[in-house]
Amino acid sequence: MNNRLKVLRAERNWSQQDLAERLGVSRQSVNAIETGRYDPSLPLAFTIADLFGLPIEAIFSRDQTES
Amino acid sequence: MTSAETPAGRGPRFWGALYVGSIAIIAVLRITDAIPTPVGLILFVGAMGLLIPFVRSSERRSAANGCMNPVIVRYNRRILAASMGYVFGLGIALALWNTYELSGALAFAIALLPTLPTFAMIWAMGRYLVEETDEYLRYRMVRAALMSLGMVLAIGIFWGFLETFELVPHIWAWWVLPVWAIGLGLAQLWMKVRGE
Repeated sequence: MNNRLKVLRAERNWSQQDLAERLGVSRQSVNAIETGRYDPSLPLAFTIADLFGLPIEAIFSRDQTES
Repeated sequence: MTSAETPAGRGPRFWGALYVGSIAIIAVLRITDAIPTPVGLILFVGAMGLLIPFVRSSERRSAANGCMNPVIVRYNRRILAASMGYVFGLGIALALWNTYELSGALAFAIALLPTLPTFAMIWAMGRYLVEETDEYLRYRMVRAALMSLGMVLAIGIFWGFLETFELVPHIWAWWVLPVWAIGLGLAQLWMKVRGE
């Protein structure tokens, strides 16, 4: 799965730690999601979407290689 | 001045390396019969004390990096307390076993001395998974635990059949927990190296 988390974070001038604190998760989690090493659960994806005020599909998109 | 500005003492790598080195030296001395069992146990208990600065320095570093996780702190302290209990329990059990001719209920009771702290370790691991609210950290721990379990099953089955065909000596079943713990560490190292 692809995501625009890094771009959205950069637009707000937030560090990974800032975003992690706003989401109530660890900095490692933010890093893992941003780099595509971990796909968040649906509840966490909704929390991320709520934080940025965007629908989930505006942040996360299906990988081109996925069917 | 905060501890983050001036990290007091040495880091976890130093204490971890000192602990592993001490255990290795004590094990070599014991295996080569350079020291008797009681001396080996006393030295082992002393070496366990190195885990206290190891855990504390890890916590200091986490606090300095702004990633202090209270669930991890609780987990580390529970495991540390259980490890201390295990070493003391094992030492007392072996001392009683070697000194008195115990059997029946008394033998059962001394078997519980090192066993109960290992149950506490398993409970601490379970509590960590229950208390950890960060799904990614929980996922990593579950993944490492399953990888380690796979290792224990593979080694156990392989060793069991080697034993069946009299190729290797018999070993006691309590090996599963230390091997599982080593596997847990190796799995976490493996994930770190792979950048997972």
